[in-house]
Amino acid sequence: MSHDVVEIDPEEEVSTNAPVARPVNKRNLDTALKHARMLEIRKRIEREILDSVEILISFPSSTDADPKRPSAHDAAQFCKLVKDFQPSDFQELIEERNISGQCGYALCPRPKSKAPSTAKKQCVWTDNGPEIVDRKMLEIWCSKDCTRRALYVQAQLNQTPAWLRQGGIDDEIELMVDKAEERPQIVLPLRPKEVAPQPAKQEAPANDADDIAAAWLARDDALAALAMERGEKPGPLSRDDEDNEHLVTNTIKERVGNSEPPVAPSLARDAQSHLAIEGHVPRSDRKAAKDGDGDSENSEGEESDWDLDLS
Amino acid sequence: MEDRENYNPNTVRLWRAYKTAKEMCMDRGYNILEDDTTLTLDQFKDKFCDENGEVQRNRLNFSAEPSEDMMRKHALPPTKHNPDPAPSCGRIWVEFNSEDNVGLKHLREYMGHLMQDNFYVGILITPKPVTGMGLRLLRSLSSTDAGPPGGIEVFVEQDLLVNITKHELVPKHVLLSREEKAQLLERYRLRETQLPRIQVTDPVAKYLGLKRGQVVKIIRKSETAGRYASYRWAI
Repeated sequence: MSHDVVEIDPEEEVSTNAPVARPVNKRNLDTALKHARMLEIRKRIEREILDSVEILISFPSSTDADPKRPSAHDAAQFCKLVKDFQPSDFQELIEERNISGQCGYALCPRPKSKAPSTAKKQCVWTDNGPEIVDRKMLEIWCSKDCTRRALYVQAQLNQTPAWLRQGGIDDEIELMVDKAEERPQIVLPLRPKEVAPQPAKQEAPANDADDIAAAWLARDDALAALAMERGEKPGPLSRDDEDNEHLVTNTIKERVGNSEPPVAPSLARDAQSHLAIEGHVPRSDRKAAKDGDGDSENSEGEESDWDLDLS
Repeated sequence: MEDRENYNPNTVRLWRAYKTAKEMCMDRGYNILEDDTTLTLDQFKDKFCDENGEVQRNRLNFSAEPSEDMMRKHALPPTKHNPDPAPSCGRIWVEFNSEDNVGLKHLREYMGHLMQDNFYVGILITPKPVTGMGLRLLRSLSSTDAGPPGGIEVFVEQDLLVNITKHELVPKHVLLSREEKAQLLERYRLRETQLPRIQVTDPVAKYLGLKRGQVVKIIRKSETAGRYASYRWAI
């Protein structure tokens, strides 16, 4: 950032009709550009989601497709389109499909089921006894199986909107595999946590050095992962870093505690330690200095323990 | 008012929405028959109800041509390449939708119909609000060239039961033509960004179908000055 830039009058900055070719504060320009790009990305992604929904309304490609065993092409496309969705977008996709009379699960070609009667509210028997639900709730899916499959996908969707997602989080959508019908309940996908480095006590002391090296390695890995989460390099770039536009130029360093172990305070360290009040040693020569100054009590550079703040 | 007890509440609702829609088109400057805006409930029933007393919504649809005044108001300034440009207004198609839920599919169909018959603007009146994705589609239409040139406006029947501009607390809003807007800015030595603003989602702005960048003159009653005019830049 150069220092010889002309400061812009705030009144002029507001106007959009102002000519562009003026010496502009580079930082302001950068900030404006950055935000404009973010908005642009957001618009683009929203548009993409809208297009995806329109494609998925008329899914699957063939009328005799089986939701249990979707064709590889359909499944791949479905996963690709759905990846940028938020759960709310997915809900809206289901709603749109229902409006056109189809089962909510996009890989199922069957029409949605009909409720037993046309009453607005209906009574259904669930595991928790009878429940009164809207007729609409009964007419979303074609079968229990499709419900399970669709919710399985929805549970994997990322809550953060796609334009805010940082790089490095690998979110592949996984479809419910065929054997699922034997399983009694919905099994959510497991996201295995990274195995924390074990304290390594149960091992024999022979490979102690190895363990220590492994622990250091694990720590480096963790730091690298943290840096990546912040969107720093290396690692996949976050979306809005496409043009390497960084407003914050400072680099962040992970604060690592220094390796010296803390030492207990000892009395012998300091000759004056007996004078200390909670670690603070009052200066004993202040009074003498003040006396030497005579009566000029409000002299400027005078230091005092107390200060009467009148301003 | 006649005794409305004998009428189906749905019929009364649609009658009122229909009248407001007609009035809205008239206030925007389209050629509308005066009789249509003063239609009585009996006449409405005779005209649009089937033998069961149910209103046939597809009979309510109508189109309208812009009047001379409106064409003048929406005239574009002539340029070198195009010395006599067409005004930025045209035929309007007002459709009463009978679907319970209007989604992307219906909006696409409606757009197709408008494009096919070369309508400039479309107004869709639905019994229930449009789905979230539908709203998103409408929003994205304004930024792209898809759809009819004047865009699509969607109203919920509920919002048209009463003509809000007839309320005593709503001042008169008058759209300014490009020329008038230029004169206004010239007279007060303003840039348009320095005008006070009105949102295009404002109820009256929606009623008048304001587009971004247009200026409305708002004429209020004033105890001291008699009438007081202020201007708003639609945003």
